[in-house]
Amino acid sequence: MQNKFSQERIESIMTSLGNIQPAVAPDFFYTRLKGKMQPAADKKTFFMLRPAFITATLAVLFIVNVISLLQTAKTPKQDSPVVYSKPATIESFAAAYNMNTATVYE
Amino acid sequence: MTEQELLFGLRHGEESAFKELVTQFQDKVFNTALGLLQHHTEAEDIAQEVFIQVYRSIQNFKGESLLSTWIYRITVTKSLDHLRSKKRKKRFGFLSSLFGDNNMPVYEPEDFNHPGVLQEKKEDAAILFKMIELLPEKQRTAFILNKVEELSYREIAAILNTTESAVDSLLQRAKGNLRKKLNELPP
Repeated sequence: MQNKFSQERIESIMTSLGNIQPAVAPDFFYTRLKGKMQPAADKKTFFMLRPAFITATLAVLFIVNVISLLQTAKTPKQDSPVVYSKPATIESFAAAYNMNTATVYE
Repeated sequence: MTEQELLFGLRHGEESAFKELVTQFQDKVFNTALGLLQHHTEAEDIAQEVFIQVYRSIQNFKGESLLSTWIYRITVTKSLDHLRSKKRKKRFGFLSSLFGDNNMPVYEPEDFNHPGVLQEKKEDAAILFKMIELLPEKQRTAFILNKVEELSYREIAAILNTTESAVDSLLQRAKGNLRKKLNELPP
């Protein structure tokens, strides 16, 4: 492969940073820095709004959901008989409250 | 103000000490970040983040190294983190341009011109900076700290937490790789 740069040019490129002057920070650097620091200092995030708290809460909720779903799946299905109760009558009411038994006054 | 006085003031939250620290180090931090990032605005942002980090974690500074070494280390770490995140975003942008429906052109940065390079060397320096971008992180860092920030091998070794001979090896490899890449450059 033919070289695109001559060795002389390569040397020139390699030494191009010789006598470089250090770059200076932009004007008003300190003022801008203080401006950037101020909101960070003022900002006091309510702990419940912090991402760590939100993530942890969501994780706990998720785990609780998964556990309850697993529990539900484990419980064997029972054919629970549907009890259709008769409409309440005076007799049934009396029987429920033991009012149809003989008392000492009878 | 001596380093001990400066540290005492910083640890006690004195604004005058912080201002003194920024005045002393702002150019060093900015120049290092600029060399690594090759972007003025990003370098300023990173320099600001470095000082915010210093302000917040000054209590953790044990004094086992020089304050300047610690600050340089933060600068290098933040700059490299920024470059990594930029690379990730660029990769993601490329993928979304392949599969997405927005045909935004992939951002191609223009040639970087360091403000401290001599006028007659600007063109060559721009080519060199482009090649520096292709170097592995450690070689790039050592090269920038040595050639742009003009730090000694000992200082670089302290910043990179390595030995002077390892720094020498990094620089030799960096130069070798740069020459190789320059030889392979397309017209």
